[in-house]
Amino acid sequence: MVNITINDQEYDIEEGKTILEAAQAMGLEIPTLCYHKALSPYGACRLCTVEIELNGRTMYQASCQYLVEEGMNIQTESERVVNGRKKMIELLLARAPEAEDILDLAYKYGVKDTRFLKEFDDVCILCGLCIRVCHDRMGFKAIEFINRGIERKVSLPFEDFHEVCRTCGSCSTYCPTGAKAVQLENLTHHTPRPILSEFDQGLATRPAVYTPFPQAVPKIPVIDRNNCIHFQTGECKICQDVCEPDAINYEQEDEIVEREVGAIVVTTGFDPFDPNRLPQYGYGKYPNVITSLEFERISSASGPTEGEIIFPGVTEIKSAAILHCIGSRDENTNRYCSRLCCMNALKAANLIRDKLPDSHVYEFYIDIRAAGKGYEEYYQKMLRSDIRIIRGKVAEITNIPDLPEDEGRLTVVAEDTLLGAILRVPVDLVILMVGIEPKKDARDLAHILHLPCTEEGFYNEKHPKLAPTETVIEGIHVAGACQFPKDVPDSVAQGESAAAAVLSKIARGEYITEPTKAEIVDDHCSGCRNCIGLCPYLAISFDEEEEIAKIDSALCQGCGVCVASCPSGAIIHRGYTDKQIFAEIEGVLER
Amino acid sequence: MVVTDEKTIENTDWEPRIVGFLCRWCSYAGADLAGISRLDYPPNSIFIKVPCTGRVDPTFVLKAFADGADAVFISGCHLGDCHYIEGNYKTMRRFEILKETLKQLGIHERRFQLTWISASEAQKLKEFLTSMTSSIKELGPIQLPILAPLQKEDKQDD
Amino acid sequence: MSDIKPADINILRAKGEESLYPDRPKIGISMASCGLAAGAGKILETIEGELKNLDLDWIVTKTGCPGFCQKEPLLYYHAPGKEKIYFGELTEKKAKDLVKELSENTVDRDFATWKIMSDVTIDDKTLFISEETEIEDIPLYQEYDFFKKQHKIALRNCGFIDPQSIEEYIAKGGYAAFQKALKMKPDEVIDFIKKSGLRGRGGGGFPTGLKWELCSKEDSDIKYIICNADEGDPGAYMDRSILEGDPHSIIEGMLIGAYGIGSNEGYIYVRAEYPLAIELLDIAVQQARENGFLGANILNSGFSFDINLAYGAGAFVCGEETALIASIEGRPVEPRIRPPFPSQSGLWEKPTNINNVETWANVPPIILKGHDWYSSLGTETSKGTKVFSLVGKINNTGLVEVPMGITLREIIYDVGGGIIDNKKFKAIQTGGPSGGCLPESHIDLPVDYESLKEAGSIMGSGGMIVVDEDTCIVDLAKFFIDFTRDESCGKCVSCRDGLDACHEILNKITEGKSALEDLDYLEELGQSIVDFSMCGLGTTAPNPVLTTLRYFKDEYIAHIEKKECSAKVCKALITYEIIKDNCVGCQACARLCPENAIKGQKDKVHKINQELCIKCGVCFDTCRYDAILIRSGDK
Repeated sequence: MVNITINDQEYDIEEGKTILEAAQAMGLEIPTLCYHKALSPYGACRLCTVEIELNGRTMYQASCQYLVEEGMNIQTESERVVNGRKKMIELLLARAPEAEDILDLAYKYGVKDTRFLKEFDDVCILCGLCIRVCHDRMGFKAIEFINRGIERKVSLPFEDFHEVCRTCGSCSTYCPTGAKAVQLENLTHHTPRPILSEFDQGLATRPAVYTPFPQAVPKIPVIDRNNCIHFQTGECKICQDVCEPDAINYEQEDEIVEREVGAIVVTTGFDPFDPNRLPQYGYGKYPNVITSLEFERISSASGPTEGEIIFPGVTEIKSAAILHCIGSRDENTNRYCSRLCCMNALKAANLIRDKLPDSHVYEFYIDIRAAGKGYEEYYQKMLRSDIRIIRGKVAEITNIPDLPEDEGRLTVVAEDTLLGAILRVPVDLVILMVGIEPKKDARDLAHILHLPCTEEGFYNEKHPKLAPTETVIEGIHVAGACQFPKDVPDSVAQGESAAAAVLSKIARGEYITEPTKAEIVDDHCSGCRNCIGLCPYLAISFDEEEEIAKIDSALCQGCGVCVASCPSGAIIHRGYTDKQIFAEIEGVLER
Repeated sequence: MVVTDEKTIENTDWEPRIVGFLCRWCSYAGADLAGISRLDYPPNSIFIKVPCTGRVDPTFVLKAFADGADAVFISGCHLGDCHYIEGNYKTMRRFEILKETLKQLGIHERRFQLTWISASEAQKLKEFLTSMTSSIKELGPIQLPILAPLQKEDKQDD
Repeated sequence: MSDIKPADINILRAKGEESLYPDRPKIGISMASCGLAAGAGKILETIEGELKNLDLDWIVTKTGCPGFCQKEPLLYYHAPGKEKIYFGELTEKKAKDLVKELSENTVDRDFATWKIMSDVTIDDKTLFISEETEIEDIPLYQEYDFFKKQHKIALRNCGFIDPQSIEEYIAKGGYAAFQKALKMKPDEVIDFIKKSGLRGRGGGGFPTGLKWELCSKEDSDIKYIICNADEGDPGAYMDRSILEGDPHSIIEGMLIGAYGIGSNEGYIYVRAEYPLAIELLDIAVQQARENGFLGANILNSGFSFDINLAYGAGAFVCGEETALIASIEGRPVEPRIRPPFPSQSGLWEKPTNINNVETWANVPPIILKGHDWYSSLGTETSKGTKVFSLVGKINNTGLVEVPMGITLREIIYDVGGGIIDNKKFKAIQTGGPSGGCLPESHIDLPVDYESLKEAGSIMGSGGMIVVDEDTCIVDLAKFFIDFTRDESCGKCVSCRDGLDACHEILNKITEGKSALEDLDYLEELGQSIVDFSMCGLGTTAPNPVLTTLRYFKDEYIAHIEKKECSAKVCKALITYEIIKDNCVGCQACARLCPENAIKGQKDKVHKINQELCIKCGVCFDTCRYDAILIRSGDK
C-alpha cells in the first residue's frame, strides 16, 4: 500500500496501480480517450495527464501509465492541467470534429471550436485502441500505425488487404470516433458478417456476449460460442477482465441435468409461419415487406429503431398495408385459424397511425375474428377510425407501379370482395400477419414423450372439455400454443390450469394408477422367461428362487404384450382378461 | 385337405360381420373422433377395445373367425407412435405369422388385415372400413370346413 | 579468440608508434565526412599522383577530422624529428604545389595554418618532441585562436590517428584505461566514474556513474549496454566525428562500462545516414575482436564482452532511449513511458545501460588520468569538457571541445572568431531543435547544464547555431518546429498535432496573417506541449518557440503589427524595389527574373511588377550596382 494525495484527499492505494486506476477506484473522474480497462495503457491522447508533485519536483504525466508512488501529491484538475487538456481537446477536435466522445469533452472543458481543422477526411485520432485490441486481445496483428508525425495513420500490412484480418470487427467496436475512423470495408476484402439479434428478428446486431432478451429468465448474459473470438482462437478474454464480480467462466459446458419429476408440463410454444413459402408477397425480396414479429420490434421503443418506423431505402411511409391470414386459413399452407392475428393486425394499424398520423393504413382480411373480452369493441373502434379495412385476400405484392410517381413503392393487388372490385394500392410498408405453426421439432418431442399430435403437429389434450391440459400420458400436461394457437390470455389461463392440475396430484401425496395391469399366476408360470424380454418397461423380472417370472405392478403400464405371448397362459390382464375379451367376441358375433 | 374360401352368395340380404381389435389410444380414439365428427361408414364392423394391439392374442382372432366373423382386422397406432413404446411392432410380427396360418386354414388373406390409424385419422378409419367392407362383400360369407366352436378354457377363476 | 598478453599489447603499441611517426615524411589527410564533402578525396588522389610523379617515398594516411571544419580540406605534413605542420583550405592545385614545395623545402609560410611541436599520449608517454622547426612564425597549435581555449578529451585522437588502425590507437594510450579498469573491482570502476562527475553528453545530463550503478544493481544474468550513435540534431555532428575519427575510444569506453555494469553484450546503434562511420566502426570492432579486446575471456580476465552494430533508419526520435530499444528490437519506433527505466527493463526486457558516443569516449581518459583530474575541469555541477558543433554565421565553424563553464562569448568570439562580416550577433541556438535561442543579453552565460536550463535552453547533444541580424527569429523557430513536427513519432496528440498547430501559427505570423492574441495562445500551446508530451522530443520541442517568445517578442510583434520582418526573410512581408538613383538599366536582373516581373529598357531605370514578383531574390543577388532594395514594413 502506498499513501498518495489526490486533489488534497489522502488515499491508500495498492502498489503497482496506475494513477488513473487509483483515481477511478476512488470515484474520481479523469478524462481519457485512449484508455480501456482491458487493454495495455498507451498514453496517446494525453487527456489523462495530471500534475504530480513528488520529492519537491512537479511533473506532468499521463495518469493511465504512471504508477502510484509513496508520497505523491496529485492534482487532476490544476489550472495548467486544465489548460493543457483544453489544447489537447482542440487538437483532437481538429481531427474528428464530429466524434461524440470528443464533443462531450469539449463541452465539459468549454472548448467551443478548433482553429486547426484538418483538411483530410480521415477522422482518426490515432488513439491506438483498434491496434491494441487487434494485437493484444485478438492476436491477429492485422493493423498497425504507419508513417510518423503528422503523417501517421492506421494501416494494413503493406497497405493492402491481407488474410491476417479475420474481419472480427473489434477494431471498429473500440473506435472512439464511433467507428468512423476504422471501417471494416477499408481493412478487409471479406464481407463483414454481423451477428444478428435473434430477439430483434435480425433487424439489429448484437455482441457475442448478450442477454437473449430483456425478460430472459434468468436474466444473465450468455456467450455465443459460435461467434466468440475466444472460442475460435483462444484469445480475447476481454469480458473476463471487464467483469468486476469475476463472473465469466469459459470452462462452463452445456450440461444435461437429469431430474426425477412427478409431472411434466409441455409448453414448447410455436414457430411463426415462414412467409418465404408464399413468394407472391415478396418477403425477403422487398426490404419493406416485413412480418408481424418484425413490426413488433420496429415499433417497440426498446427496439432497433427506438420505435421509429423507418427502413433503409424508404424515405417516407405514406401508406401501409397489413395482410391478414398469411399461413392461416389457407388450403395451400395451414387450414386452421391462428386466432391471434386479427387483433394483432388491428393493433399494428393503430400503432402506425399513432406514430405516422399522416399515413394511410389498409387492412386486407378474410374475416375479422374478434372473439375475446373487449376485442369486438376494439374492432368497432378501429372500424370508426380512418383505417381502411378491406375484405379480400391479397393476390400479390409488386414493385411495378401503376403510376410513374409511385416508382420505388410497392403495389398491393387485391380484390375487395364486398365491392367486387380489383384494387391496386400503392404502399410503402407491408406487414404480413404470419400464422402460428407447431414448432419444427414438435414431433421429435412427441416421440420422446409418447404424446399424440394433431395432423399439423399440435399436441393433443386428453379431452377438450374434461381434461384440457392433461394428455393421454399420465403425468404429462400441455399448455400454450404447443397445444393449439392461442393468444397470451388463453396461454396464461391454460398454463395456470396445467400447473394447478399437476399440483393437485402432487399435493395428494399418493398416486392412483389405472387398475388394468398384468399379473402372473404363479402356479401356471413355467419359468420360460419369454415375457421378460418383451416388456418395454422392464417390469418383469425372474425370481431365481421360485424359478418363475414376477411383474412389478407399479412399473407395469398394462399394455398386455406379455399376456398375449405367454405360452402357458400364465399371465392375466386385469380388465382385459381372455375370458372378458372372448365373451366380448361372442357377444358381438351373436346372431 | 385344403378348403378354399369360395364365393357363394345365396342371399342378397347378407351383410358381412367384421370384428376389429382397436387399440385404446389411437385407433379407438380415432373411431371416437369419427363418431364425434359424424362420419358415415359401413355398420358391418364391430370394435373391441384393447389397451394395445400387442394385447391381441392370436386366439382372439381365431375365436372371432370361429364364432362366425367374416373378417377380422387389427388397428393400432402408427409405427413409432405406440403409447406402450413398441407394442405395435410386436403386433406386426405376430400378424404376418398368423396370416400365413389362417391362409393354410383356407381363410383368404383379405379377411385378416392390419392397419395403423391414429387418434386424429377419423377420415382414414372411414376409408379403411368402407374399402374393407366392400372387399369382404365381394368375397362373400366365410365358409369354414370345421365349424366346431373353439372354446378356450379360461384359467382364471373369477 | 587469442588470449592477448600485455606483452602482445606492447608489440601492438610499438607498431602503432612506428606507423604514427615513421622514419619517413608522412602526409595525413583529414578524410572524415566533413573533409570528404570539402573535396578531400580529390586532394588524396592529387597528392598520391604527385608523390609518384616526383618519385617520393612518403607515407600517406587518412585521419579523422581535427575539428576545424572551416579549414577543410586539411592535411598535415610531418618529417621525422621535425614539427607537424597543418595546411588547410586546400585545392587540387595547392595540394600539387604543396608536395613539390615540401620536397624542395620551399613552402610559403602563409600557406601553413598551425604546427604541433610535440605529442604526449594520455598515459603521458611522449611520442615526439620537435627540436628544430622547418617553417618559422606559424602559430603553435596550443596558441592558435581556434584551439587555444579548447581542451580535447573526447576528441583527443580525432585527426591525429588513422581510425582504421588499432595499433595507432594503442600507441596513443588506447586500451590502457581498460587494462587499468580490469585491475579494479567492477563497483570501483562505477565509483570512479561517479566521482569524476561525468554526466550524459546526449542531452539529458544524467550522471553517468549513477546510471551505471542503477543498471549494475539490477538482478539479471543478462544485461546490455548500448552506445547511442543516432545523432540527429540538424547542424550537430560531434558523434560522427568521434565515430569516424576514433572508433576504438567508444569500444574501449563500452568495455569499461560493460565491465563495471556486468554486461556481456553491447550494441552500437548508429544511423544509416553515417555510412563512413558504419564502415569504420565495423572495421574497428573486427580489429578489436581479432586482437582479443572483444570476445570471450578478454585479456585472460574471465570477462567476456562483444559488440553488435545496429542501424537506425534515420528517425530522429530513435535518439530517445526507449524508442532506440524498440528500433533494435524491430518494433515500430515509439518511445514508451518510464518507469520502467531501461536500467530496469530495457532491450529484450533486460537491464540496459545506454550512453551516447561522447560519453563513452570520455570514459577511458577518466579511468586513466583519474577522477580528480576530470572533476578539476568544468564547474561545480558540470564537470569535464563538452564538444560543441559550432555552426552558423560565425567565422570559425567546426567542432570545439571546451571545458564546462566557459562563457558563450568565449565560444563565439574567441574560439569561433566572431560573426561573419562583423555583423551584429543576434542569438545563439543551443541544444539542437529541442534547445532554445539565447539573445545577446545572455552572451556571458557560463555554458553548463544548469545555467542553460535556467535560461530556457538546454545543453542537448551540443549543437550551437550562431545567428546574426540577417536571420529572422520567427523563421528560425518555424524551421525547428518544422523539423520536430516531421520527426515526431506521432504517438502523443500534444507533440504530433500540437507541433503542427504551432507550425500553422508561426506560418501565419510569417505571412503577416496573424493577430497579437495568437502569441499568447502560441505560448500557452507550447507550454501545454511541454507538459503533456511523454518523451524528450515532445517535452523539449517547443523550446525554440518558447525561448524566442521570451527573448525576441518584439520581433514577433513587429511581424504581426507592422508586417515587418527586420531580417527581410519572410517573403510575404517583404517587397523588392529598384532604387532609381542606382539603377543603370543593365538588364541583368530582368534577364534572370524567372517570372519576367522586371521590365525596363536598356539604360533606363527598371521597374518590378509586384504582382508577378515571387520574391526569389535573384535580382538582389544579381545587381552589381546596389540598385535593389528589400523593403519590409517601414524599413
